[in-house]
Amino acid sequence: METLLNVLVVGILLGGIYGLVSIGLNLIFGVIRIVNFAQGELVMLGMYGAFLAYSMLGLDPYVSTLIVMPAMFLFGVIVQRVAIQPLQAESSMQIFATFGLLTVLQNVVLVFTRGEGYSVATKVASFSIAIGEIRITGTHLIILIAVTAISVLLHLFLQRTLMGKSIRAVTQDRQAARLMGINVERTFMVTFDIGSALAGLAGALIAPIYTLSPGIGDNFILAAFAVVVLGGLGSVAGAWAGGMIVGIVEAFAGYYIDPELKQAIWFLIFLLVLVIRPTGLSGQVGAEEVGFREQS
Amino acid sequence: MSAIPSTTRTWCLYAGGLLVTLLPLAVLSGDLFWVNILIYTYLFAGLAVAWNIIGGFGGQFSLGHGVFFAVGAYMTARLYLGWEISPWLGMIPGALLCATIGPLVFWPTFRLKGSFFAIATLAFNEVGLVMANYLHTVTGGPRGLQIPFKAGLGNMIFADQCIWALIMFGFMALCVAITIVLMRSRLGYYLLAVREDEEAAHAAGIDVTRVKLRDTALSAALASIGGSLFAMYIRTIDPPTLFSLADIGVKFALIALIGGIGTIIGPVLGAFLIIPAESYLRAVMGGGLPGLHLVVMGGVMLLAALFMRRGVAGALDALWRRRSRSAS
Repeated sequence: METLLNVLVVGILLGGIYGLVSIGLNLIFGVIRIVNFAQGELVMLGMYGAFLAYSMLGLDPYVSTLIVMPAMFLFGVIVQRVAIQPLQAESSMQIFATFGLLTVLQNVVLVFTRGEGYSVATKVASFSIAIGEIRITGTHLIILIAVTAISVLLHLFLQRTLMGKSIRAVTQDRQAARLMGINVERTFMVTFDIGSALAGLAGALIAPIYTLSPGIGDNFILAAFAVVVLGGLGSVAGAWAGGMIVGIVEAFAGYYIDPELKQAIWFLIFLLVLVIRPTGLSGQVGAEEVGFREQS
Repeated sequence: MSAIPSTTRTWCLYAGGLLVTLLPLAVLSGDLFWVNILIYTYLFAGLAVAWNIIGGFGGQFSLGHGVFFAVGAYMTARLYLGWEISPWLGMIPGALLCATIGPLVFWPTFRLKGSFFAIATLAFNEVGLVMANYLHTVTGGPRGLQIPFKAGLGNMIFADQCIWALIMFGFMALCVAITIVLMRSRLGYYLLAVREDEEAAHAAGIDVTRVKLRDTALSAALASIGGSLFAMYIRTIDPPTLFSLADIGVKFALIALIGGIGTIIGPVLGAFLIIPAESYLRAVMGGGLPGLHLVVMGGVMLLAALFMRRGVAGALDALWRRRSRSAS
């Protein structure tokens, strides 16, 4: 029983991380259907942003989110303008463009850091709470709280605000949205930028628990796509749950089946869901084609 | 659509084109640095042509071809190391296996559209990577397989690099020839019909799924043969190399894109641009700042996606049309 609970807690904490790094992609892929393979690199840039703020200004990574988030928002503006907007209607070209971007970003960071691994320290790391045998460190707890809080806020934003409503309208039917007076291009742009800012935020929040390396985004990208698809494209609550599913499956498969196969299990679940229900567990059936409507 | 060129004309163009691609080897055969680059150029030209059969003509944007490549590599190496089966024969079971698992795996994913298919095949590649690390007995696990140097025609191991260049050239020539035959066959026309409008093709009585499955089988088998040749050439294979997205899985598609997706000559053109450029940049820049050459390559990929959607072949074609129009 103790072991079972322990594995579950490990899974939930891992799920928090997966959920957090996927929130940005949930907007970018889940909502506006941009196949952004460079999403992991946006998280990576957020991590290095937190490192820069820490090493140059001595800022705690949690404080540095105040700088990292706006910076990544601006970076998102540039990326969207240069590489995404011209390819709005062509998903296979988006794959190439964002894969090119991924290569550029990874290697620019590699050139600057010369392959040296960095880490970011925070006072929170020394705190931990213990429930029986199970210890939860402060850094992991913050991630879990953050992913839940951001999900709630994002949900309210999409449901209640005018901007959120226009984002949802554009996803469902571009043409109709345009006829209702929504500026479709601006909506796409803002959605991508928010997605980029949230990736940066995720990067800063997880920076204390990883050793920073230029290729670290590769660890997150497939997981992020899995979380977004599993949870149901664009569904915020779904993505939160999707992160938990991936994390818990990985923890249990790692402990009870084989540590080497821990990821293969959720890869397979992901493939199955893609094939059977591409809109995910909580998405509308047929919704994967929405947003492609104007292109054909 | 332009008229179908006659058989003789097509094969004359084919022979002429092959002779042109042999020229650099004739000129540079004394220079080991460039012969090595040419070996990779021919190999990746063949692989991009193989990818193009399903990715370009079939319109199924696969990022999972690294799995077929790896299956071919492991199968050939394992048969040679374990039972001393000549790689020339050892290529065949791998290709047959891929012609079977390719359609089996792609079949359920065909109903996915565009980017969803690409993501699913990407996940397929990652499953392959995990399994290759796990199945120690077959793949040697993370440490990989090493093939000892024992030169001989039967072993497919040669001291002379020029022989390798010729073998890879033969592989490329085979892939292009198969593509030409395919595109002039009934299946080829079905493919184009399916790619242009799946519903219309279905209404015209084409069994869409069967066409795509046959096409996948062919493409996967050729990719597997490419993997076998790669394994025997470098003689050290491990999972991170074989399942690398940047160097294998996505690269096939990238080469085809740069050259021109869905054309016969495009992937070959793409390989002759990308592979030498990349190898040269790596040699020149790699010593100073690691990663700098990849910054350039990533930038090229981005620019190609933005400004050259139909690739070099498409750009040449547009230029040609404009000139012939102004001349007439």
